[in-house]
Amino acid sequence: MLASKLCRFIHTNNSVWQATQKTVLSELRKKTGYTFANCRKALQLHGNDLQKAEQWLTEQAQQLGWMKATKLEGRATGQGLIAVSVRDKHAVLVEVNCETDFVARNKYFQGLVTTVASATMKFASNSVSGTDLVNKVSLDSETLKELPAPDGKTLADHSALIIGSVGENLSLRRALCVSVNDDILITGLSHPVPASPSATLLGKYAAIVAYRAPPKSEQLGKRLCQHIIGMNPAKIGEKGVDEPNPVLDDETTMIYQEYLLDPNITVEQLLTDNQAQVIDFARFETGETLATEKQPLEAVETCG
Amino acid sequence: MALVSARAIFSPVLRLTVKQIIGNRQLTKYRHGRLCARLLLPTVTAQRFYAEKKVFLRDKPHCNVGTIGHVDHGKTTLTAAITKVLAEKEMATAKAYNEIDNAPEEKARGITINVAHIEYQTENRHYSHTDCPGHADYIKNMITGTSQMDGAILVVAATDGAMPQTREHLLLAKQIGINYIVIFINKVDAADEEMVELVEMEIRELMTEMGYDGENAPIIKGSALCALEGKKPEIGSESITKLLEEVDRYIPTPVRDLDKPFLLPVEQTYSIPGRGTVVTGRLERGVLKKGNECELVGYGKVLKTVVTGVEMFRQILEEAQAGDQLGALIRGVKRDDVRRGMILAKPGTVKAQDQVEAQIYVLSKEEGGRAKPVLNFMQLQMFSKTWDCATQVQILEKDMVMPGEDTKLLLKLFKPMVCEQGQRFTIRDGIVTLGTGVITKILPPLNETERLALTEGKKAREKKLAKAN
Repeated sequence: MLASKLCRFIHTNNSVWQATQKTVLSELRKKTGYTFANCRKALQLHGNDLQKAEQWLTEQAQQLGWMKATKLEGRATGQGLIAVSVRDKHAVLVEVNCETDFVARNKYFQGLVTTVASATMKFASNSVSGTDLVNKVSLDSETLKELPAPDGKTLADHSALIIGSVGENLSLRRALCVSVNDDILITGLSHPVPASPSATLLGKYAAIVAYRAPPKSEQLGKRLCQHIIGMNPAKIGEKGVDEPNPVLDDETTMIYQEYLLDPNITVEQLLTDNQAQVIDFARFETGETLATEKQPLEAVETCG
Repeated sequence: MALVSARAIFSPVLRLTVKQIIGNRQLTKYRHGRLCARLLLPTVTAQRFYAEKKVFLRDKPHCNVGTIGHVDHGKTTLTAAITKVLAEKEMATAKAYNEIDNAPEEKARGITINVAHIEYQTENRHYSHTDCPGHADYIKNMITGTSQMDGAILVVAATDGAMPQTREHLLLAKQIGINYIVIFINKVDAADEEMVELVEMEIRELMTEMGYDGENAPIIKGSALCALEGKKPEIGSESITKLLEEVDRYIPTPVRDLDKPFLLPVEQTYSIPGRGTVVTGRLERGVLKKGNECELVGYGKVLKTVVTGVEMFRQILEEAQAGDQLGALIRGVKRDDVRRGMILAKPGTVKAQDQVEAQIYVLSKEEGGRAKPVLNFMQLQMFSKTWDCATQVQILEKDMVMPGEDTKLLLKLFKPMVCEQGQRFTIRDGIVTLGTGVITKILPPLNETERLALTEGKKAREKKLAKAN
């Protein structure tokens, strides 16, 4: 094993005069990660010139990605990730879908979701504002695709690139931008919480909550988010207007629900204890059917 | 006016006459039809009674395999090709590509798993072949034990090489305990020799990196499509035959339950005057004979004794085999010392444990679970074999577990009970089943302080945490 490794070491270093065609191909593949078929094509076109081939591949990647994307269009995407990102008075929720959860665990895909989240965040901080306490704008798939990413390309281009490398259909499904004014605080959380903390949290579920509370109560915000993810309330509710559901387990009004982390108290109790008030919230779940769309029967996933 | 005409239509007498007038002609036909039916009926019913059902021949050892790989690399095509090649030798029923699909009836049964099951046999073994689309499906499959895979076939297309997510595929295989992987490099008809060689090198490297024996893993190159279409036998059907040979050789046959040391979970205990104590239950594995030395383990006790008689349906058994429902007479043990949930086993083969690591699937509400997530430090009832025990769960790597998710758990049992790696269990909260799981690791027993900490409340735990900080 050692010998073979050593051998490879020599080859890659002295490729200019020693390398056979084989090592050029493997080197190109190692360096770029594009499929063998494409690497081979690139080398054939450029007479085994590694640098030219690499350059060609990078240029072609976008186009190849688009070709693949067109080919795979229409395949059902039921898995994926939700990203939540919060900056100052802005927060965004983004859902990107893929075909299998293997891809959802892959770092290329996760990179794409982070890019989409940061592009949406940029859009939110520039163009979502208003005089209300909480301003919400939701973006559909088409609008999302047109958003520019930090590097100037559109998100659709970025998604096509990843389609080219993972070979699965992806879709930028939806996004929600929330901006708050005045003294309203905003916090987001995803589930499962990623092991390494970062500005953008990825998970299967995510929630953001806008609330009013005394200073230094970030923990409360996180816990409220966790409650929203876990208990899936339909609305906040108002005492006196909304009636509590007689069956506690079926309660969908947030203030009457038992608090997830301490079932002995209700959310209302928790808010009173912390002198807090929930103004608004949003919750995304991967692959959930939206009220506005119907899931076609063919969308049920099959083995491939 | 309208009322009168309506009455005329609905009046029963009138209706009958009208019917007779109109129906007279059809009536004869009717009679004729019925007669025909009566003539035909006996043959029809005779056909319906298990006429053509084949009897399963148990002449070869059984083995469970599955395919893993990227969606476009041809897992299903390979499965179809395997059945086709074997069908020519009459060892499988050929299935077309579109026939291999997740069975809809699977979805109707409790836990929904998107899975396709195919059966076939080679010269040496009988196989059940699993194919799932996603990670979560394989995990569910492993936990619920619908089909534990003894080995896997990793499918990689020569045109693409290893995909970024192939790493995730191998990670999954590790997680669900697959130690033997045979690699099939597919689509060699669309690639040149050099590419195939490089793919092979790459895969070996990746396998080694993921903790498998990459240098020695069998790799077969071929084209499932060629095999399916009957073209180019050297890379088509021959490669499939070679693949099956390697699967036969490389993946070991699982040890049958009959060959393991005996184990009997106690279901009931009886005291028979003049004879002694009898424990009953279903012999889970091994062979039990009169005179066998045994141990009764559970509820913090270990009792050594000897089996002085084995009976089934009031008849004396010379030896009981795994699967038999039996009663065993045991020497020198009082009935009050034995309880349902204890395990009667060969001395030294089982041990009571009170701290284990497990992989668990939490049922979604549609599957009969509850809508709320499972939280850290919840106290739940754990059921396994014939015992049940209060257990504290600690969730590793997450804050909570949502319904429909799988996760790794740390289980702390209030009383030591018999736990083994690979043992399945169910956890329940009151009257609701929360989920099912499998024990993946046995951890060292709890010490006295840890045991006391199990019973303390949330407040005490938080106080302690605050103190530590």
